[in-house]
Amino acid sequence: MRDEYLGVFIDESREAIQRMNDILLEVEQDPENMEAINELFRILHTLKGMAGTMEFNTMMTLCHRMENVLDEIRNGRMKLTEDIIDKLFKGADILDQMLNMIAEEGTDELTDVDVEGLIGHFESILGQSPGGGKASGKEEKREESVEEEGESKEEEEESLPIEVTDELIHVAKEAEKKGFKTYYIKVFLKEGTQLKAARMYLVFHKIEDMGGEILRTNPSVEDIEDEKFDWDVDLIVVAKQDTEKLLKALSSVSDVDRVIIKEVSLEEVKKQQEKKEEKPKEIETKKAPSSSPASPATSKDHDKKKKKITQTVRVDIEKLDTLMNLMGELVIARSRIVETLKKYNIKEIDESLAQLSRITLDLQNIVMKIRMVPIAYVFNRFPRMVRDLAKQMNKEVNFIIKGEDTELDRTFVEEIGDPILHLLRNAIDHGIESKEERIAKGKPPVGTIVLSARHEGNNVVIEVSDDGRGLDREKIARKAIERGLIDETRAATLPDEEIFQLIFLPGFSTKDQVTEVSGRGVGMDVVKNVVESLKGSVSIESQKDKGTRVTIRLPLTLAIIQALLVKVNDLVYAIPIASIDSTLKITKDDIQVVQDQEVVVIRQEVIPIIKLWETLQIPHDEESESMNVVIIRIGNKKYGVVVDTLIGQDDIVIKSLGKLFRDVKEFSGGAVLGDGSIALILDVTNLAV
Amino acid sequence: MEVNEKEAVKEFEALSFSIGDQEMAFDVDYVEQVIDKPEITPVPKSKPMIKGIINLRGRIVPIIDLADVLGSYVDESKYESIVVVKYNDIEAGFLVESVNGVLRASTSEVEGIGSLEKYGEKSKGLIKKGNRLVVYLEVSRIIDEIAGEEL
Repeated sequence: MRDEYLGVFIDESREAIQRMNDILLEVEQDPENMEAINELFRILHTLKGMAGTMEFNTMMTLCHRMENVLDEIRNGRMKLTEDIIDKLFKGADILDQMLNMIAEEGTDELTDVDVEGLIGHFESILGQSPGGGKASGKEEKREESVEEEGESKEEEEESLPIEVTDELIHVAKEAEKKGFKTYYIKVFLKEGTQLKAARMYLVFHKIEDMGGEILRTNPSVEDIEDEKFDWDVDLIVVAKQDTEKLLKALSSVSDVDRVIIKEVSLEEVKKQQEKKEEKPKEIETKKAPSSSPASPATSKDHDKKKKKITQTVRVDIEKLDTLMNLMGELVIARSRIVETLKKYNIKEIDESLAQLSRITLDLQNIVMKIRMVPIAYVFNRFPRMVRDLAKQMNKEVNFIIKGEDTELDRTFVEEIGDPILHLLRNAIDHGIESKEERIAKGKPPVGTIVLSARHEGNNVVIEVSDDGRGLDREKIARKAIERGLIDETRAATLPDEEIFQLIFLPGFSTKDQVTEVSGRGVGMDVVKNVVESLKGSVSIESQKDKGTRVTIRLPLTLAIIQALLVKVNDLVYAIPIASIDSTLKITKDDIQVVQDQEVVVIRQEVIPIIKLWETLQIPHDEESESMNVVIIRIGNKKYGVVVDTLIGQDDIVIKSLGKLFRDVKEFSGGAVLGDGSIALILDVTNLAV
Repeated sequence: MEVNEKEAVKEFEALSFSIGDQEMAFDVDYVEQVIDKPEITPVPKSKPMIKGIINLRGRIVPIIDLADVLGSYVDESKYESIVVVKYNDIEAGFLVESVNGVLRASTSEVEGIGSLEKYGEKSKGLIKKGNRLVVYLEVSRIIDEIAGEEL
């Protein structure tokens, strides 16, 4: 049971910690931001609750102390100092480490980190607070809720929200003979509690541990497991303990808000219920919202609530790959059925086949899209990292992220994080100057680092740029000569760009260079290696005292692009929509010849014509009178690509053609179409040469 | 010495198939699967021995005319099956006329290639099994050659 929830716990906690980091960054900029502090408090509170449920006590304690400190702050009893923010960051880090430990080893005990020390530190912070001390708001609340319980007992007196059957009475009676008592128990969870089902499980577990037995639940156990309940659950329980003991035991389960326990005689209850049935209206108005989950109205409410909470599902990437492959097979199987059935010409089946085709196509598109994730997944962790590094190196950096919703293939997301991290580290360490130096140079005292992502044609382009001191040509050349990567005469003649490229060479940086100031040596060859293993490229531009920009280009292998499908002879080709300007029909007479080049004039613009079959050197019949032209843009130039027919627009997945086609520059890949056939994707930049 | 000689004799398995009138074989370690020849999408401007690409369960796999690689000619319509191999992360399908099955042989049954000079390093030798003569092809070499050949 606990294992079952472990995955959810880890995922949700990760999200919580990420969110915590984001908000801490906000708070750091604006320590008076009470809304953010409140949010932090809530996150920690939730996290604490979850850790408690999963019985990770150290984690829970740490959350608890952090939460207490925040509570003091939001109540105005303490000031949020830089030191506290640092400690909270530290706390977030440790929580993250604990989470990793939990994921790997199943325990939150970190061996090489002084968690106790940090907890102690938070305690000493609390000790200084006037209102402070260990009595947290939460604990007080719990005590209150137990006391409250006495009053609420009477409120619920009237009848039980559980239908009492004869069978139930029989079982209870049998138990009573053995010295058990029958109880009606209502457990309220705190509103907003996460992992409700897990918590309820703990309640059940508690009861069973004490030798009790749960006879009936409302809602049903299945619904409880599926979290199909608001915050309260009704139980009929037989146990030997008295009310007080049960109450104490159940109240100690984390995130249980309050518990109502009554000893009941089920026979009495049944009689009462039968009476009530005569005036059903009353029951409805009084009990319907929480006690009849079977009624459609309430279950709809649940659905609505669920939708708001569940926005993402985590899936193992391997499963997605399998899904993708299965999808491909499904498509092929379908087209085989279609082919076979064609022979028999059965009218009745046409409609269902068409529907099957539509469904498979939709399914295929969705499967493809599932693999794409926004690059925000990678970028998210950087603000925090940049902040820490800048602080460590005593630099002031304004960190800007652009285009974080650019989508790229999931496989890249996992790989590209480290290279970007290297680049950012270099930008902070070597690029951005100290405040004094910047002022002396007449630059704004705070340096700027921009991390951006965008789609460009068939590439995802990721850039890291800074407004720092730039690369030092002389230093790089000298080092390259020292390491024998280049000789002196060549070093003198090479243009700047080529000298800068030298830093990507494996032998360029060694450990002793790490501390040197202006060489961007650290791990640049690693960056290049990773990017190239993803079939991408990396380049660097730099200007002295203006800054440096490193550009990573990744292909969209496996990425989905929108493409226009066109036909030449019997074959389908795909042209990326991104490079299409427009499409039009022309007649043979529209084509003029200017300087040996066929052109068309469209709105006073002279556009060179590329006949696809000529460029691709495929045999083609006489041209017909009217032709379809796809106007493409390459840089700021336009070309008209002539094709036989335009089929239409489609989302396609780019697949590499593989190493055996390295020499074919006209195609950037292939795409498997809905009917299982392949369309070659035109690389427009290489068409017009 | 005697021991060494014994060690040198190894059992191996090869997938045998026919192209032209010649029986040939690939080491089974390279072979992924055998499929019926599907529709092949030609790739304009690619190397002549590459006949195009197919969609193999969602993957794009290049299809190679083995006869062309080995310097002979077989009409494409005669090909009925494709032997899909994988070597060095390159997946490729070879067009064959028919697949004869797995051949068990030992290295002692393989003769040097002297008489088959035209295959060069693309062949590891000639397997002699009774009256069958099977050209034992070196898949890695063939693929390396196609991949390395720049225009």
